[in-house]
Amino acid sequence: MIGQRLSEPVTGTITSRDAQRFALAAGDRNPLYFDEAAARAAGYRTTLVPPVLLAWSLNPPRPLDDLRADGLYRGEGKRVTLNVKRVMFGGEEWEFLEPVFAGDTITSETRLKSLEEKSGGSGPFVLQMTETTYTNQDGAVVARAVGRSIAR
Amino acid sequence: MTAQRYLEDVSVGEAMPAMVKNASRAQLFLFSAATNNPHRIHYDREYAAVEGHPDVLVHGPLQGAWLSQFVVDWAGPGGRLVAMGWQNRGRAFPESDLTFRGKVTSISGDEVSLQVWEEDAAGTVLMPCTARVRLPRRP
Repeated sequence: MIGQRLSEPVTGTITSRDAQRFALAAGDRNPLYFDEAAARAAGYRTTLVPPVLLAWSLNPPRPLDDLRADGLYRGEGKRVTLNVKRVMFGGEEWEFLEPVFAGDTITSETRLKSLEEKSGGSGPFVLQMTETTYTNQDGAVVARAVGRSIAR
Repeated sequence: MTAQRYLEDVSVGEAMPAMVKNASRAQLFLFSAATNNPHRIHYDREYAAVEGHPDVLVHGPLQGAWLSQFVVDWAGPGGRLVAMGWQNRGRAFPESDLTFRGKVTSISGDEVSLQVWEEDAAGTVLMPCTARVRLPRRP
């Protein structure tokens, strides 16, 4: 199971609007996301995408029928079926290898990295680690993210 | 625009100037919208109680976005964030000050390692984080 692809690769184009909407929702006014001239002055060919937006920008639109009672989409992001009550977002490790520009078309692919049973203060839990690779339209890997989630 | 920080001006142990965030409920809603995140714990207080939370929660990824903003702003437009990792330790709530702090832990070549964290109004660390940035040398 380890190394298994958790979903089909997802490809999407990240527009400057996507980048700006995300940045503003986070209260981030960095000119590198908004101002062509500022981006060029910093040595970039056009405006950038906030680095951690990569994790969210490629989610395909889903129908309302896919919503569960808690509001999350059914089968969201995981094909490992664990008989658990709750999955918590535990943290992330990112490597940013190349800048991501507004207009880039990015493909992401997530694989299962590890699955470990642990015992903690509030009982046993399963620590699941996934690795997502983000590749741009030129075939360059722009980022890698290892995500930890905790299932009880 | 934040000023450029140069490698020559940074020293190990140096503290990063703190950044304070205080999210309104509307901001949480906008972040849910910008990330297509329909999880009810971020906008439905009654439902949040069902999952054991006294109020709606600030998204983990929003706190992650703030951590990266804190580091990217510190580095300035000519700096580059090359790596960053964070852990979710505690819950963050809207309409409450969340403070981002950090310090330089090591410098290797043109890469600066930072220890960064987010704390709540009581000073409890909610998200510890490490980051590496590449800084330019003075022209």
